[in-house]
Amino acid sequence: MTRPVSALAAVIAAAGLLAAWELAAWLAGIDGFPPASRALAQIPRILTDGEALLDIAASVQRMAVGFVLGVAAAVPIGLTMGRSRHVAAFFNPLLMMIYPVPKAALMPIIMLWLGVGDASKTLVIFLGVTLPVIYHSYQGSRAVEQKMLWSAAAMGMGGLSRLVRIVLPAALPEILVGCRTGLVLALITMVTSEMIARQAGLGNILFNALDMAQYDTVYAMIVIVGVLGFVLDAAFERLRARLVAWAAPSHAIIAGTT
Amino acid sequence: MIRTLGLALAAAMGLLGVSTASAQPTIRVGWTIPAEESKYWMMRRPDQFPELGKSYKVEWVQFQGTAPMVQAMAAGALDCSTQGVLSMAQGAIQANLQTYIVAQHVGEKPGSFSVYWAVKDDSPIKTVADMKGRSVGINVFGSGIYGPMALLLKRHGVDAEKDIKLVETGFPASEDAIRGGRVDVGVLNQPFAARAEAKGGLRKLFSLSDQQQNIVHIMDVCRKDFVDRNPELARRYVRDLTAGMAKALANRDETLKVVSEVTKAPIQVLDTYLLKPNDFAREPGAKPNFEGIQAMLDIYAETGMLSKKLDATAFRHPTIVAPLE
Repeated sequence: MTRPVSALAAVIAAAGLLAAWELAAWLAGIDGFPPASRALAQIPRILTDGEALLDIAASVQRMAVGFVLGVAAAVPIGLTMGRSRHVAAFFNPLLMMIYPVPKAALMPIIMLWLGVGDASKTLVIFLGVTLPVIYHSYQGSRAVEQKMLWSAAAMGMGGLSRLVRIVLPAALPEILVGCRTGLVLALITMVTSEMIARQAGLGNILFNALDMAQYDTVYAMIVIVGVLGFVLDAAFERLRARLVAWAAPSHAIIAGTT
Repeated sequence: MIRTLGLALAAAMGLLGVSTASAQPTIRVGWTIPAEESKYWMMRRPDQFPELGKSYKVEWVQFQGTAPMVQAMAAGALDCSTQGVLSMAQGAIQANLQTYIVAQHVGEKPGSFSVYWAVKDDSPIKTVADMKGRSVGINVFGSGIYGPMALLLKRHGVDAEKDIKLVETGFPASEDAIRGGRVDVGVLNQPFAARAEAKGGLRKLFSLSDQQQNIVHIMDVCRKDFVDRNPELARRYVRDLTAGMAKALANRDETLKVVSEVTKAPIQVLDTYLLKPNDFAREPGAKPNFEGIQAMLDIYAETGMLSKKLDATAFRHPTIVAPLE
């Protein structure tokens, strides 16, 4: 699909969604489901409120820290798992256990260990990010041709060097697919990590509005989080395209920006 | 593994400068919305409090409800927090959380707002006895208002456990639940009651005050070990809670602004009820109503929500309790 056509399709989809939302809200006629026009009208107010911007920035900062730490921890684990049956046998059961647990459900327990500050929320984001990145790094690492590694070993390259100089670049397209999934999960866990306790963050706007039944603000914040996710995903996809231009995207998602 | 990762993460956060260490005595306080005006004043107008931010500091953490604050206090992550009578008592019995009640935020008094259950105007439910077999909304399963409600229903021959279907709606969505027919009877609290009344179409069926007067809704409690170790710090905090309540009651216009800043609710919405006769009662000086608290503890024990009776005076510090000048 060419870029203008896919962009047009995205615009039509967004407009259709908004129209359906507007119509459904008018038909429902309940406070808890305001029409799109009323919710969207709140967005300029939120985005011109300095305090709200600081709250959003605090959340995004935590998300960025959680994401970077998650990727930094997950990639070496995934790559090593892909090249060592023993390491894979060690980590796989742990990952299988942690994978289905909703990360936000861990929040009350994590709060007991790390308190109610940023560290506990960042850990929840970290856990959300690591699993897809580990999985994709593992798959990317496993797919590296054994012959290449034998050749490198024959030329005197050590185990760590092979991992960094051969396995990592070869697995990079798959790793970045994992990072893209991880980025979306970071955004989701960023919001859910603020559900129980918070000091600064977009939860201050979203959940307070929910508590006070200010539903237009609630929906406006949902739209803002959605747009934030879209922008981050589009930016990451551009970065991915630059980093691994030599590899065709293995899981292309048409979203008007790809 | 998760714990090790957590500690490493905490260290990383420290390196990133995310945490803010301070030599100033700090008290970690949990809060929630709505109805904690004295705390909101302390948060948003700290310059109005001579000692706040100068001789001591408050680290505010907002929570979604009182139950997670019990966990946080039991874990030592909070020094003081907002509590309902039930959550505080359950913390004491189940988690051995020893606390002092240091102040009261809101409660009910004759003539003040009382949490009530409403039906649609055209509902066939005319009396409490008509509720048999109906769906009834509650803010949260096992919440503090369930006990008095269950006793009131019992007086009218309705068993809250067997004769009705209890549905958790939350306070904010309760009005929609009644109007949309998701529940036959829904519970209303401020500010949602004021909004529903302005729209019309709903009829009050019964309120908590029909069962019992002087209900205490939310209080401020501090961990006993914290207060016993830091009596002067706790005293300063309670003194400011006292002053905060006085400021909230003395200057309604400013309180509206303060509450709007904290809750993000427009002033026009708050103006429909806040500190008006249709609002909850606030004790001058934030003085806890220990008699009312005892009555509630007794109800919770009677309805089986608490496994044993508790004595409200056990939660009272001899000197560190509002009002403190």
